[in-house]
Amino acid sequence: MGPLEETAEEISVLLVEDDAPTRRRIADALVQAGGFRVAEAGDLGQARGLLQSAKPHVLLTDLQLPDGNGLELIREVRQRSEATEIMVISILGDEQSVISAILLGANGYLLKDAFPPDIAHTVRELIRGHSPISASIARFIVRRTQAGTGAKPASDLNTAKLTPREIDILWGIAKGFSYADIASQLGISRQTVPGYIKNIYRKLDVNTRGEAVFEALQQGLIRL
Amino acid sequence: MAMTLSAIRSSPSRLPLYVAVQALVALACVFVLRLDLPRPPPAYRAAVAEVNEGGVWRPVAFPIDRKARSEDPPPVDYRIPFTLPGNAPEETWSVLIPRFSTGVQLFINGTLIEDTLRDPATSRPDRNVPVISLIPPALLVPGPNVLTVKLFVWGPVTGYVDSVYLGPDSRLRPSFDRRIALFETFPLLLISLQATLSLVFALIWVSRRQDAIYGLLAAAMGIGVVQNFIAMPAALPLHGFIAASVSIEGALMVMFTMRLVGLRSRPALWLVLAPGMLLLLMGLSGSRALLQRGYLLLGPTSVTLSVLAVSALLGWSAVRRRDQSSFLLGSVFTAVIVASLHDLLTVMDLVPGERLFVGRLSYSLVLVTIGIGLTWRFVHALNEADGFASKLVRQVREAEEKLRQSFVREEERARSEAMTAERTRLMRDLHDGLGGQLVSIVALAEQGQDRGAIGEAARAALKDLRLVIDAMEDIDGDLMLVLGSWRERISAQLRAHAISLRWEVLSPGGLPAISGLRPGHVIQIIRLLDEAVTNAIKHSGGRTISVSLDSLDDAEGRACGRITVSDDGCGLGEDDGGPVRRPGRGLANMKKRAELCGASLSLISDAAGTSVVLTLPAVLPDAP
Repeated sequence: MGPLEETAEEISVLLVEDDAPTRRRIADALVQAGGFRVAEAGDLGQARGLLQSAKPHVLLTDLQLPDGNGLELIREVRQRSEATEIMVISILGDEQSVISAILLGANGYLLKDAFPPDIAHTVRELIRGHSPISASIARFIVRRTQAGTGAKPASDLNTAKLTPREIDILWGIAKGFSYADIASQLGISRQTVPGYIKNIYRKLDVNTRGEAVFEALQQGLIRL
Repeated sequence: MAMTLSAIRSSPSRLPLYVAVQALVALACVFVLRLDLPRPPPAYRAAVAEVNEGGVWRPVAFPIDRKARSEDPPPVDYRIPFTLPGNAPEETWSVLIPRFSTGVQLFINGTLIEDTLRDPATSRPDRNVPVISLIPPALLVPGPNVLTVKLFVWGPVTGYVDSVYLGPDSRLRPSFDRRIALFETFPLLLISLQATLSLVFALIWVSRRQDAIYGLLAAAMGIGVVQNFIAMPAALPLHGFIAASVSIEGALMVMFTMRLVGLRSRPALWLVLAPGMLLLLMGLSGSRALLQRGYLLLGPTSVTLSVLAVSALLGWSAVRRRDQSSFLLGSVFTAVIVASLHDLLTVMDLVPGERLFVGRLSYSLVLVTIGIGLTWRFVHALNEADGFASKLVRQVREAEEKLRQSFVREEERARSEAMTAERTRLMRDLHDGLGGQLVSIVALAEQGQDRGAIGEAARAALKDLRLVIDAMEDIDGDLMLVLGSWRERISAQLRAHAISLRWEVLSPGGLPAISGLRPGHVIQIIRLLDEAVTNAIKHSGGRTISVSLDSLDDAEGRACGRITVSDDGCGLGEDDGGPVRRPGRGLANMKKRAELCGASLSLISDAAGTSVVLTLPAVLPDAP
């Protein structure tokens, strides 16, 4: 995969992960794939320090950090720049962490135990505008679109803006259909499916709601 | 009465107190009866009169008391001469007779000016109604004039004229008005009340037949009201009715009092009605003499007995039962006894002064008292019923609350049971997969095994952790939702081994939903599929693994799912030169998992590869 990717310049990555072996593993996966320049941080403080002097293409961050929550970092970076691609690093890829991150402006997620080639591939795909999405995340979002209005208490996950087509795509992903299957069933081009997904993430992004979300963050609750 | 009642509460023995109070009541009655009634100034009182006996005028003195000498005595004429003052009076003069029985006609100089027989209200001997009449000035002549009083007598009492007053109307009218208020308006008020209460109690009784007490009182009151409006002189049957009425009322009062003080009524008690009924029959017999004799024999006796019986019952209840309402009623009844005695003595001419009958009046008073008391009792009973109803409502609410609490407890118990069951299942699932793998990692690390083996075991543990978490989600029988995540996991796994994954959904929509699919089933199915894939990776040597999802009809025509995991490897054959395969234990394990979730497993293997075919059930039994 690596050699096939033609990149004009190196992709700069800020990797925030408190567990050193894990951090090194991910950094190695990127560096060995080639085309990445990786800065590492072990906590929020270091990450903020590095962000003052540089503006990376990609932010990879864990959520549970020794001096705070990675969600704060995601919010800060997204507020500063729309261009930065943000991925959350998660062990399970569970809805709570991934969707909270998406709500604050993340574009994707990375499993901590992903195979090294997959790590580099996922980041590159993100740079190309292809957000990854898992079956369980898709399932969580479409489930929320089905929940009747008023059935759930106020939620920060607002699915009202999703179009029927986007919801169909999410259903396909949730059930394990390939992008090609989904595309042929919906009569769209296979190449457009990843774009749809990025669009879905953007629609869920509540970054603009600023303070209310920050409040929720402070209390450790994003209501899903 | 308040003072008396408070005294009752503190008294240890009630009999002396009761007797004392009755004596006081009797004394008070005598005192009241001795009070002088309103009269005009004595100056206007006629001093002398003459009675016409067989054409001869003989002088008589007031009060005139004339015994009836025959059964139907003729009227008697009394002549009262009077002279107008010399200076012709500015004012109109009147004649006033404060008390008389039973009927009078008044003539001035031979011209009739008044006839009480035409006024039913004054025609009864037991009424104490006065008569007043304006003298038309044209009838008067200067000098001597003559007032003639024609006295009619009927009934058991004697003819009576208390006194005659002649004078200016303005001097006579006030005492007349006061007497009218006392002996006509007040009794009318009482009788109206009695009529109203009678109607009310009759209505209560009609809708509550078990409360005979209301029926008895309504009857007693009703009879009293009816007899009150019978005008005299009347037909003989009506005389009979009037004679019987007192007796019947007395009997009804006895029956009423029995129930009031809480004694059981017996059929023999109806015998107290017998004297009254006999009198009624006598009235219907047509013989006035028989009725008169019968009345003298039965009437006063039965009434006296009834009154004594009522009085005794009330006294007994007041003393023994310490019943306050009996005490009160007994005292009122004592007043009736005194009044009746007074009437009796009056008839026997043993009472000095004006002849008054107050028995009926006092009885009316008693009835009204009872009526008010009974109404109060009825309202009290209604209030109690209300209180009872609200108590019931409260009890029902309390019972509901208890029920709700026990329901909540039951719910909590069920939830805790469900949690325990869930914990047990989770522990078993973790023990089967994750636990074993972690122990294996520990062992490998301690033995200094190569990092590859440790990594592989750790990956397997992580994969199992994700599986357990995935399986917990409510997927409503749609296995596709779990297979979506599984596909992601094995595609990463296969990528790492440079094996490609072909994922084929052969039926539209994928697998049909499985009714009764539970997390335990999901875990078994996914572990089974994992083993199939792992076996293919490790042993087949193939480059592609296909997973195809299909739907077919089972024996009963229900749609059920089929999952096929196949590789393009060397198959299981032992003699084809491929890697040595020992499918025995793995296969047995997979079969066991298939059985646990009601699926059937088959294995097809040839030189072109191996296929594991898992046919899922349409419906799963409840517990895994």
